[in-house]
Amino acid sequence: MIEQILKRLLISIPVLFGVLFLGFGLLILVPGDPAIVMAGPTATPEVVAAIRAEMGLDDPVLVQFGNYLGRVLQGDLGRSLISNKTVVSELAAAIGPTAELMFACLIWSVPLGIGLGTLAAVWRGSLVDRAIMAISVAGVSLPIFFICLMMIQYLGVEWRLLPFIGRGGPLWTIDGLRHIALPALSLGAIFIGPVARMTRSSVLEVLKLDHVRTARAKGLSETRVILRHGLRNALIPVVTLIGLQVGYLLGGAVVTESIFSFPGVGRLAVGAILSSDFPLAQGTILVLALGFILINMIVDILYVLLDPRVQA
Amino acid sequence: MKRLLLTAAIVMTGGLAQAAEITILREVDSNNYDPHKTTSRAASEVLFMMGDTLVSLAPDMQTIDTGVAESWSVSEDGTTYTFNLRQDVQFCDGKPMTAEDVVYSINRWVDPETKSPVAWRAGEVESVTAIDDYTVEYKLKKPFSELLYQLTQSFGTIIDKDTVEALGPDFGVTGFNGTGPFCWSEWTPRDQMVISKHEAYDWGASFHANTGPASMDKITWQIVPEENTRTVGVITGQTQVTQYVPYIALEQLKASPGVEVVQSDLAFWTYFMGFKIDKDTVSDPAVRQAINLAVDQAAMSEDLFFGVVQPAYSYVSQEALDWNSDLDDQLLKYDPAEANRILDEAGWARGDDGVRAKDGVRLAPTAYVFAGSTWGKISEAVQAYLREIGVDMQIQAFDATVAWGKLATQEFDMFGMSFPYVSSGDALNLYFRSQNVPSPNRMNWIDDNTDALLLAGATAITDEDRQAAYGEVLEIVHDAAVWLPLYHEPMVIAQSTDLETVVPHNIYGAGLYKGLDLKFRE
Amino acid sequence: MCCSIRGCRHDGPDRSDVCACGDTRPPGQHRGVRPVSVADPEMLDAPEPVEAWWRRLLRDPSALLASLVLLIVVFCALAAPAISPHDPFASSRAIMQPPIWAEGGDWLHPLGTDGQGRDMLSRLFYGTRLTLIIGLVSVGIGGAFGSLMGLLAAFRPGLDPWVMRCVDVMLSFPAILLGLALVAVMGPGALPVIVALAVATVPDCARIARSVAVSVMQQDYIEAGRALGLSNFALFTRYLLRNCISSIMIFLSLRFGQIILIGAALSFLGLGARPPTAELGMMAAQGRDFLLFAPHIAIIPSVLIFVIVLAANVLGDALRDVLDPRLRS
Repeated sequence: MIEQILKRLLISIPVLFGVLFLGFGLLILVPGDPAIVMAGPTATPEVVAAIRAEMGLDDPVLVQFGNYLGRVLQGDLGRSLISNKTVVSELAAAIGPTAELMFACLIWSVPLGIGLGTLAAVWRGSLVDRAIMAISVAGVSLPIFFICLMMIQYLGVEWRLLPFIGRGGPLWTIDGLRHIALPALSLGAIFIGPVARMTRSSVLEVLKLDHVRTARAKGLSETRVILRHGLRNALIPVVTLIGLQVGYLLGGAVVTESIFSFPGVGRLAVGAILSSDFPLAQGTILVLALGFILINMIVDILYVLLDPRVQA
Repeated sequence: MKRLLLTAAIVMTGGLAQAAEITILREVDSNNYDPHKTTSRAASEVLFMMGDTLVSLAPDMQTIDTGVAESWSVSEDGTTYTFNLRQDVQFCDGKPMTAEDVVYSINRWVDPETKSPVAWRAGEVESVTAIDDYTVEYKLKKPFSELLYQLTQSFGTIIDKDTVEALGPDFGVTGFNGTGPFCWSEWTPRDQMVISKHEAYDWGASFHANTGPASMDKITWQIVPEENTRTVGVITGQTQVTQYVPYIALEQLKASPGVEVVQSDLAFWTYFMGFKIDKDTVSDPAVRQAINLAVDQAAMSEDLFFGVVQPAYSYVSQEALDWNSDLDDQLLKYDPAEANRILDEAGWARGDDGVRAKDGVRLAPTAYVFAGSTWGKISEAVQAYLREIGVDMQIQAFDATVAWGKLATQEFDMFGMSFPYVSSGDALNLYFRSQNVPSPNRMNWIDDNTDALLLAGATAITDEDRQAAYGEVLEIVHDAAVWLPLYHEPMVIAQSTDLETVVPHNIYGAGLYKGLDLKFRE
Repeated sequence: MCCSIRGCRHDGPDRSDVCACGDTRPPGQHRGVRPVSVADPEMLDAPEPVEAWWRRLLRDPSALLASLVLLIVVFCALAAPAISPHDPFASSRAIMQPPIWAEGGDWLHPLGTDGQGRDMLSRLFYGTRLTLIIGLVSVGIGGAFGSLMGLLAAFRPGLDPWVMRCVDVMLSFPAILLGLALVAVMGPGALPVIVALAVATVPDCARIARSVAVSVMQQDYIEAGRALGLSNFALFTRYLLRNCISSIMIFLSLRFGQIILIGAALSFLGLGARPPTAELGMMAAQGRDFLLFAPHIAIIPSVLIFVIVLAANVLGDALRDVLDPRLRS
């Protein structure tokens, strides 16, 4: 098992390099002089020259990449052109809120999705099944921004239930909870569908397995069979799959954060790009990609730990 | 489950404890909060609250009142200003403010090393020295009649030398130390600027209902780029006050319970399009006059801005200090027939496509404007009016981050711009001095007479002299039709009725000025 | 049926019953997980007549409805210049006119006008056009490259580890991140969005293609073909490609909806198509300023996106059921 985990870690090394190279490559790909891009549109020639020297932009690409790696390892991602704050400090402030949002989204959408998926599997082919599946297809077809706008319009404005601007505070404060509610509801709404679908097919599979049939044959009630044997075994793959949907959630989070003025990494990235703040854009994209890899890695390792088939 | 939902609902809808904290919504953030390194309105809004200036400006936009200086005198020749400072002023960190701090602040402002884009606003400084702990002598090379007005701006904010030196490039980025009614708490760029009450503050000018300390414990300036979200933010009480509400929403806001809309008529923020007068297409004054006559500012104000803005025919507000009222009945107003007649007479004949041309020059000027809904609407409306008189204006819009660079080039024939000012002299000196070519004098208006008059106005010692000099400049530039004035933007503030009614200020477009009068109703 | 859970990390909502997450381990690392999406060998030898699956598809009422909707949408997009009642870019003084079903609407602008007085219906036709182009072009290009990579990896086992490592790296950039990165480099516009979405489609498609192709390669008739002396090219196109194409198409049709959604989201954020062109996501973003006064400006384009994506998803599901019956759980 340890061997499996080590193997997984080894595999991620080239991936890590690939991502770092792409992050670095953004600057090479940029049309025009990278020094001018880094310095910003209003910089004087002296500033541009200083940046060129500092970054070694006249060196061969591989040397530049080496330097870039060195800086990244030291936690130096440059300074934002707009605010002059270090990119690292801006990112540090934004990662927490994004993690909170993800958590708040998963905490309600995953149980609900699993519940609906199980119901659909149990009453397979029934009206309930069809309704749940129809809802889940509709859910994955809705544009996330539309959900957000409707949340603001109804829950926020018409019924005055919840605030929709900013973060309010950490998750554990009342104000923080109130502020995160609408973003988390919107983001979760697009996640229920996939979770329900996954659960449904997973539970259906497990119900076909021998020990479940045996349990049924022993005369256990259907509910017990499903809860004790079906759902429990089906959950492992479902939980793993949820981890693998981070990319999908990430896309939703970028939009959700922007619409609700929620100060996370996604909003930071969009703001940086729209204001041509290249160092900050580069930093946010790198961090998002690294986070994505890290979560995938953890999920893979969890999978190794959880799945009995792999241990065999 | 039901009980859980119920509990959740109670948690979610439970209100805040009524601490004296408010959130102010605005559209954009500043790039930093160093008074000498930014010219953005977003910075001024906060700097006025976090810092003080030598003198301050009353809401009538004319009267100079006390700041950290309790009195001042001007020498006969108008070159030496002596400021007597209050002795009870202290910084947010508790350090007492002395003449040394004022000297340091002004010197940093005008020091070429600082590269302040607004150093000229401090006048041509000979020296600023501390006579004693509470007396500052401000010596100019030449008289500068605008000086006291300029010193009220946020660029003249008194800052603490130790903090500036300790923070280096992070001054105004990670921290600040001023003498204003509020102190720096935390800045998250493009998200929030949080400031908190300066407990010791009690030196506000007499025109404030409250001279200190501030009533608010904490103010959060929250960035919300979307118009609609700001509007519904006001309606649902998530912000207590904002001046960034779309005009379209004003009727709705006025009708909303719990919301009050206040408006100031002393709007010194003007939108115009300028002509680069040495370009073939617009070098003929007849063309520029015709364009002025072709545009119906009143209809634009009505259609695009729901009648909230004031149509502009003058280059500065007719309420502004030193406006030349002789020009009032000479201003060019909507008359398309006359416009066509002028162009016909000047020899600009219509081609097959309806566009006028003369000597091979087609009347198709290129206009550079800012991308975004405001200039999008304005420029398209102007474009439509100009088509009526056979002028085919081409619009090119640029994002704000690149627009300023583009607008410093010689590539365009016309440009769209808006600007805040305190007086006619302020506006004229900014835009019409030949040494300000290519930017902000984007018109390439190079005229010795104008330069001489501007100098005379700036160095005038008496009000009459200054008024006469600036009045003459106004006449020259209006006669030459170097701009197409569009509208004066009013100061509109939407606020919660939980707050005492705000008196809108117009200084640099920062409607809440020092924030001293922000107060919850008892 | 058995679907490997491992290595499924496209950033769309998971369709695990489609097995979009095929086993992608290089051959040596198989863990006793059966490859997926194998068509019946009988089907390979004697494909069912085309009419049969069409007919079966049309017997499903939801699929029929979805195809009809998509046909209408595509027609409107193609015929936009001919059927638009107004110039979609010309503004007028009649701003924020309500649609016909609301009070104050009239037939001059059946869907009302937007905040600049432009005809909503005409803009919708043109907007649909650009939205569909972004979706189709990126799915088409990404799908072609991805399939080629996956099929080659299966066809030439020597290439496999290289291709799959490359795919692993590409998978580390979900579509939204690729979009952000490319827009950061190239500036906002439709082109970087198309490129990003195409690139994001490549790795997922390569995985599907490879897992299907690996099992096809194990069939006897490939050996038989070789014995007959068929060239590699002929083997590749006539046997491999033809037998894998339906699974790949099913995957891409399901992918299409997600691509449209991501593209619209990027445009909504101001990172995609630029004004004055019309794109559905951008139109929704423009309508947002008027949500309080004229909600139709934001709602109509959003609902249209929903309808298009829903129809594509329903049709994709139905196609899967019909073309690849073994995938049905």
